[in-house]
Amino acid sequence: MSDGTDDKPFTPANPTCIIATGGNPYLPRPAVVKRIVEENPTVRTLELALADEIDNAHFTYLPGQFLMLSLPHCGEAPFTFSSSPTRSGSFALTIRRAGLLTTAVHALQRGDTVCVRGPYGRPFPLEELAGSDLLFVAGGIGMAPLRSLLAYCLAHRSRYGTVTVLYGCRQPGEFCFQQELQQWRDDRAIHLLCTVDQGDPAWQGRVGLVTSLLDEIEVNPGRLKALVCGPGIMIRFVIGHLQELGLPAGSIITTLERQMKCGIGLCGHCHFDDKLICADGPVFLGSELPNLERL
Amino acid sequence: MHRTLILQKDHLLPLLRKLRKDNRVIAPVRNRFGDTFFTEIEDFDNAAIDLDQQPQTSLKSFFLPQSETLCRYVTGKHPESGALEYSFHAQVPVRTPTVYFGVRSCDLFAVMYTDLVFRRARERDIYYDRRRSDAVFISIGCARPFADCFCNATRSGPFLDMGFDLQLTDLGDRWFVQIGRPRGVRLIEEWPAFFTLASEADRKAQFQVELEARGLFRRHVHVDLAVKLLQEQPDHAAVFAELSRRCQDCGGCAYICPTCICFNIADLRLDEDGGERVRTWDACTFAGFTRMTGDCNPVDGETGRVRKRFLHKLLHDVQKHGRPSCVGCGRCVNMCFGGVDIIRCIEMLAAEGENGSGGRW
Repeated sequence: MSDGTDDKPFTPANPTCIIATGGNPYLPRPAVVKRIVEENPTVRTLELALADEIDNAHFTYLPGQFLMLSLPHCGEAPFTFSSSPTRSGSFALTIRRAGLLTTAVHALQRGDTVCVRGPYGRPFPLEELAGSDLLFVAGGIGMAPLRSLLAYCLAHRSRYGTVTVLYGCRQPGEFCFQQELQQWRDDRAIHLLCTVDQGDPAWQGRVGLVTSLLDEIEVNPGRLKALVCGPGIMIRFVIGHLQELGLPAGSIITTLERQMKCGIGLCGHCHFDDKLICADGPVFLGSELPNLERL
Repeated sequence: MHRTLILQKDHLLPLLRKLRKDNRVIAPVRNRFGDTFFTEIEDFDNAAIDLDQQPQTSLKSFFLPQSETLCRYVTGKHPESGALEYSFHAQVPVRTPTVYFGVRSCDLFAVMYTDLVFRRARERDIYYDRRRSDAVFISIGCARPFADCFCNATRSGPFLDMGFDLQLTDLGDRWFVQIGRPRGVRLIEEWPAFFTLASEADRKAQFQVELEARGLFRRHVHVDLAVKLLQEQPDHAAVFAELSRRCQDCGGCAYICPTCICFNIADLRLDEDGGERVRTWDACTFAGFTRMTGDCNPVDGETGRVRKRFLHKLLHDVQKHGRPSCVGCGRCVNMCFGGVDIIRCIEMLAAEGENGSGGRW
């Protein structure tokens, strides 16, 4: 333990994550809803821009990072970006209606103002992914952070090898990003497989858990990096299955969620053994995860 | 500058009175109910400064108040478009130079720990930082440890060799003064008339007091052993399940603990048009601490409610900062009516280590 000298200059642990907040990390900034996409009856994507034009022009983030979003009288909650920073001028959050704040999100209209802090957290390891084949495995709303990374990778396509996307939802009506799904389906360089837990009469596709899709693809452990996001239990089983297929834990990358209050590694809510999801994550390598049972 | 001085006992109050001119002075004061708390002294003639009892609470609330407003927010509808309007306005603390007098080593060590968290983070917490930047500490080495003290085992007392601006040792008719950080030097330079140089005999007397204090601890708590056992095997599911079962979810241990600094942030609606964003103390033992929307909770309260609390102090902070974050003040021992205190936890871990996992406590 060191002696806390008063006037020592502050050295950030991770300078790339620092953004201007006027010196107060708890002060949210207004952002305006530019566009709303209804993804399905319970999920919508908000396209936002910071109200201050200069702030907005300088606003940057990386796939995998998150924002703290505030709505009047509802407090704030963390949401990962679902857009890619390669598209400037606005950013997107894809949000499922589940509680008080997200219900208020679903009442928002174009032109309304919300408030945001961030971006926070460790992004996907973009440098380490370069040169690899990429396998995206998404369950339900877990597609949101992966869509950000996928769009980023497609914008820098020459840096990456083959791209495979496995996307599972409980029911056919739950798939988000329909327009992009069609683009990915039409893109010969992308191998897209979708599945549902439970089909309906109109569903022509696969039925079964997303883990079953892993048996339909070719896994080249030397070249492949897997990016996994979804409910905790799905992440657990996908990581287990990928390891059975020979993929080392260090080649599996996931992003986790927890209750968060500060977003900057202080409030303690997002603890996961010795780690804090907000500051050490939310993106983790499979080899960094302490105990999958408690995912 | 000499690093050791003498302050005659009858010079203490006059010195504090002088300091009071430009600073708030906070000291342990016994109130009319007989309770001793750190309190701002305005009237030195009538305040009962109590250096004989352990203050019931630490300095935590002076740097991280139990409840504080971080920002105010206003909201409404645009008069023409009807669009939602919404903005925040920060409410940062006013700078107030403050002298904390009579701080025990454990409580000062706890401030050094909270500095590590709040001032070495990715972004500096300006609310904590402002209060902390304005602090001067005149600490007191503990000549007589209290009944549940074990700062010898956590190496955060009974005397410190850093962290203080001035550290006093009671030599009977006089205070032995050690000068620590730059603000201690400045304080001496500003008020030299109150101090005289310490003699070799004074230094020997101080050494004697410090040495004797180390032999007066009544509790023998095997902190290092517990840390070692947890490093070997962090799960100890039976110990944590038993302690979790006895925990009544009151949060008292976390509130009384000088190094428990987890907090909550919530909106307090004042009217339709706005409210306050308020930070309050929180406790990782509370059932709702990790609960997410949809009732999803990664921590099972029945068996794991207290796991994080003890692992954080005895294992995770050792991994992160090289030492446990318990300072051995013993306050949680008296606070918990279920007996779920850190000494109990350490004793149960040690017993399990001795008897294997089937050990009885």
